[in-house]
Amino acid sequence: MTKKSVWKWVLGAWLLVVIWAAFFYAPSAKGFKGESARIVFFHVPQAWVAVLAFCVNLIASIRYMRGHDPLDDARAATAARLGLVFSVLATVTGSLFARVMWGSFWNWDPREVSIAILLLIYAAYFALREAVPDEERRASLSAAYAVLAFVTMPFLVFVVPRIYWSLHPDTIINVRGSLDMESRMFQVLMGSLVGFTGLFFWLYTLDVRLARVRLARRRREES
Amino acid sequence: MPAAESLVWVAAVTIVIWAGVFVYCLGLDRRVRNLEDGE
Repeated sequence: MTKKSVWKWVLGAWLLVVIWAAFFYAPSAKGFKGESARIVFFHVPQAWVAVLAFCVNLIASIRYMRGHDPLDDARAATAARLGLVFSVLATVTGSLFARVMWGSFWNWDPREVSIAILLLIYAAYFALREAVPDEERRASLSAAYAVLAFVTMPFLVFVVPRIYWSLHPDTIINVRGSLDMESRMFQVLMGSLVGFTGLFFWLYTLDVRLARVRLARRRREES
Repeated sequence: MPAAESLVWVAAVTIVIWAGVFVYCLGLDRRVRNLEDGE
């Protein structure tokens, strides 16, 4: 194991501890059926990483519009891809919770509808990328679309679910601005947020490095 | 401490899934490094 790779093993161990703590350290939550509330330790970090990924997608897209560096386009696409994957994971874990708590995987709750719309918006980003064969044009259009897509994200993730009545449990920091979570549960949730953020940056870096190699290879073939 | 047996199973499955993701990432990391070295 090299010095450079130590953090990967630390991350691996960290997430193992988080999983153990999620099931055996955090107490059962009151007011939830069975142990269903434990899904919060995975569902919330997945949703957080999706938001983070869409923020990275926006930054890379703006950078592309300013500098026209193909690597920024690759960064944006990678971030959007990971954002989409983590959104799907958040939706699936949310549906599992919904099945236990409310009896159905899908209840047309404002939160469910808003995440479904967000998924469609970012799925369209990839449809757009596939539809444009010219690389520069594809990158420019995708960057412009990414900025527009991001405008909808805070509205769909943070505003809509708070305007309408929802089955969804209160957020960790509720509308009154106070923290509604038992301290051990909060510790595990924070640990999970850190672990999932680390996982996101690992996956993101890997994909960007791969894109860099592909770009260098293509440039060499073209010259 | 929850004693439910089902919880142990869910935890075990979650750990197996995480181990799979971790091993996949390590493999991908090695593959990318090899490609970078080959450049």
